[in-house]
Amino acid sequence: MAEALVSSQASLSSPALTAQRAPRANINASQWRNALFIAPYLFFFVTMLVFPLIWGIWLSFHKADTFGVGKFVGLANYARLFGDKIFLQSVGNTFYFVLLTVPALALLGLFLALALNRQTRSAAFLRAAFFSSSVLSVTIVTLIWRIVFIPDFGLLATIYGWFGAPAPAFLSSPDLSMIAIAIATIWWCVGLPMMLFLSALQQIPGEIYEAAALDNANRWQTFRSITLPSIKRTFILVLLIQVVMQFQLFGQARLMTQGGPNNTSKPIVMYIYDVAFKRWDLGMGAAASEVLFVLILIAAMAQFVLTRRRGEN
Amino acid sequence: MTAHIEIRDVVKRFGAATVIDHLSLSIDPNEFMVFLGPSGCGKSTLLRMIAGLESVDEGTISINGQRIDNLPPGQRDIAMVFQSYALYPHMTVADNMAFGLRNIGVAANVISARVAEAGRMLEIGHLLERKPGQLSGGQRQRVAIGRAIVKEPKAFLFDEPLSNLDAALRVRTRVELAQLRHRVKSTMIFVTHDQIEAMTLADRIVVMNNRKIEQIGTPMEIYSRPATRFVATFVGSPTMNFVPVRVAGGGAGGVTVTLGDGTSVKTAVPAMKLEPGEFTLGIRAEGVRVAPNGQGVTTGTVDVLERLGDRTLVYTKLKDGSVVVAEDIGYSRVAVNDTVSLSIDGSRVHLFDGSDRAWHCEEGING
Amino acid sequence: MSRSTSIMGREFGDRLVLALVIVFALIMLAPVLWVIGLSLKANAELMADTNSVFRAPYTVMNYFNILANSSVFRWILNSLIVSTGLTIGTLVLCSLAGYGFARLNFPGRDILFVAVLLGLAVPEQAVLIARHQIFGILKLHNTYQGLILPGLSAPFGVFLMTQYFRAIPKELDEAALLDNASRFKIFWKVLLPLTVPAQATLGIFTFLWSWNDYFWPLISGTKNTMFTLTVGMASTQTNFAQSEGLGFLMAQAIFAGAPILILYLFFQKYIVTAVSGAAVR
Repeated sequence: MAEALVSSQASLSSPALTAQRAPRANINASQWRNALFIAPYLFFFVTMLVFPLIWGIWLSFHKADTFGVGKFVGLANYARLFGDKIFLQSVGNTFYFVLLTVPALALLGLFLALALNRQTRSAAFLRAAFFSSSVLSVTIVTLIWRIVFIPDFGLLATIYGWFGAPAPAFLSSPDLSMIAIAIATIWWCVGLPMMLFLSALQQIPGEIYEAAALDNANRWQTFRSITLPSIKRTFILVLLIQVVMQFQLFGQARLMTQGGPNNTSKPIVMYIYDVAFKRWDLGMGAAASEVLFVLILIAAMAQFVLTRRRGEN
Repeated sequence: MTAHIEIRDVVKRFGAATVIDHLSLSIDPNEFMVFLGPSGCGKSTLLRMIAGLESVDEGTISINGQRIDNLPPGQRDIAMVFQSYALYPHMTVADNMAFGLRNIGVAANVISARVAEAGRMLEIGHLLERKPGQLSGGQRQRVAIGRAIVKEPKAFLFDEPLSNLDAALRVRTRVELAQLRHRVKSTMIFVTHDQIEAMTLADRIVVMNNRKIEQIGTPMEIYSRPATRFVATFVGSPTMNFVPVRVAGGGAGGVTVTLGDGTSVKTAVPAMKLEPGEFTLGIRAEGVRVAPNGQGVTTGTVDVLERLGDRTLVYTKLKDGSVVVAEDIGYSRVAVNDTVSLSIDGSRVHLFDGSDRAWHCEEGING
Repeated sequence: MSRSTSIMGREFGDRLVLALVIVFALIMLAPVLWVIGLSLKANAELMADTNSVFRAPYTVMNYFNILANSSVFRWILNSLIVSTGLTIGTLVLCSLAGYGFARLNFPGRDILFVAVLLGLAVPEQAVLIARHQIFGILKLHNTYQGLILPGLSAPFGVFLMTQYFRAIPKELDEAALLDNASRFKIFWKVLLPLTVPAQATLGIFTFLWSWNDYFWPLISGTKNTMFTLTVGMASTQTNFAQSEGLGFLMAQAIFAGAPILILYLFFQKYIVTAVSGAAVR
């Protein structure tokens, strides 16, 4: 039965016929037909990512609002952008925020990873606990932290109250608002650096530590000459992931302080949101987006260059 | 159920590199053919071309007179056992074997009958509902063979199927494969770099090296009449001895050669067509014996002794420095640094000229 | 002598580390406990003194009040539809594309793959405004499609699945080819079942990302009935300091956060791999 089927299939393609259809037998041949597997994704990639990206660049050179795209204005949007004190302030705010959060996230993540890199149940529980905040949405995180920071009902206000002192006005002071957002962000995001450091630590072979112990290395020497060099790559990776992520600060600022007081906690993305989706100045919003894009690309390039240089050594 | 496979003038290139260079070969129905050669010689590529897993750049491959090199692999009516077995990890043993049959629409009752039969033949009947991950290496190997058997193909292709097994299991499976081939009447092609597998299993061996066929022949032909110095080196353990010699000229029966240390050896290689000059003499260890009471033709100093139980291999150095491995009895009295007398059996001598062509003794002299 | 001091130093260091970890754990936990505490108190009592959190009586009235507020359920439903839709769509598209990039050859494949990888470097903000305009023209705002479709372009899943398919031995494809299986059958019956771990990782990551996404739903789903849970919860936070329903708001936060935390508890291992895998890319 099987042979009959096979031979009938084989006889369909007589030698003379198959000889002309050589590519059919070559399973590794390059064929257009194979691209069908990619096509569905590619459709969304082009329509949802590539095309809007190009349109966005094009938009940044045009006057545009909700009613449509107006005339070509060259670099006028960019000129207006860099003439806008609030934009420059938002760029400064963003860098300040990155400076507040990224080193703290990296160091705290590393500390937790080192402390919890053991096979006990309590360590496993604490790892899960420190990561758990990462799965919450920004809305819940800000809700939780506002109820910590707000006057009268806040946790901080209550704790200060026990000592009869008034709590600092974290959310309404120009000096403290960004710090409040940073604290909430560190609380929200510390799980990821911890996990990345943990997986890096677990890849260091145990024999190296045993060899170091036989060489009479103390704890600090072991950490400095074995652990640190082994996780250097991860450290750079963590820094750059966090830089790229924290550059895109939006939800926390919008929900905790509305960018205030007096724009002291307004980041770039919130500026883009305000210009594009509140003032509907789409051209200028697009221009601001491209500036952010370039800033993030520079960070990504820095990662590429840094890891490349390490590879050469 | 069986295939006459004709490979004609086949060429395979990977980019700029030619891996098979104008190769022709005919494999008879029901023959057990072994492709033997070092890694990178093109033997696996040739097998994969027959299977249809690699395209043929030039030339043709046909089965029973019908050209198949343009057919997709599934329509060539052949089965293959992979080195890594390539069992489908998520399917049970039974489903692994049935998959190919279901794909061509074989009736369910036929499939289950064939699977049960293969399970019985290979003694894996009790494993049919397990998954490959739950099996030992040897059991997986059987399933891979079973998956080929149930297809009842015209030809079986084996790509180094024993190389992932441990030594003891490899020997056992080799014996079982030899039994299997008599039960399953089909053409079989077996790729290996292991000369013992080739010698024990093959009807004929194709020795390949460096994109080309060096020799095609029965195991004994390959062993006793190696066509090139490469074949002589590759087949047989320990490796054949090679000593530079001078051929002075012919006498009745065979030429006489002079070794580097001046020893003359009368050989059974016919003098006809053999130009006098520089040659390389090849002789296996069993052709060189430690002669009692100094009756040998030359002497050597013992460097190393390898006692194999039934015999002893004696690594000696001749006076001119050339190294010759000789054979002695199991309970050899020889010790390292002894000077021993060596006899050379002229009827087991091979001569290789500068272009690696081999000259053998008269047919029939050494069986 | 020196040995015993080093052991003492070691013990002291261990205790210091332990103490610090406990402090950090308390900082992690305190806000959540505070929120839980508030959610269990009647509003009137909280308005008088927040210290009442630390003493009885406690009440679950705030949670019952959520049941009366239909918006939250609508938002949860919206989030479920959007996140599930995006997850299924992503798994289908990325599995097909990953197989294609890993196993099949077609003109321009390698350039295309590099292009997709470059897409990883594009931040959402660089495409948001133009995408918002396009969706406006296509009248996709305030629809489920409008919330789902943009996420389907994320290159991460393609990258992940391509890597995973590449790691499967090619002999399996070859064995299936000899078993007369078609290209699609090899994909569907032989390789796809082997990618289940990667599917789980990608699925959970996509679901989580979509569930927590804030910016795009904020500008696309602007009608109250089309809010996702994340956006909807944000909308209740305005005029928050003056809010009299503090306990109610907190109960809502717990209620909204609980499903994802429960999901996290069940799939902790997969979620950690998914999220750190996405970061390492």
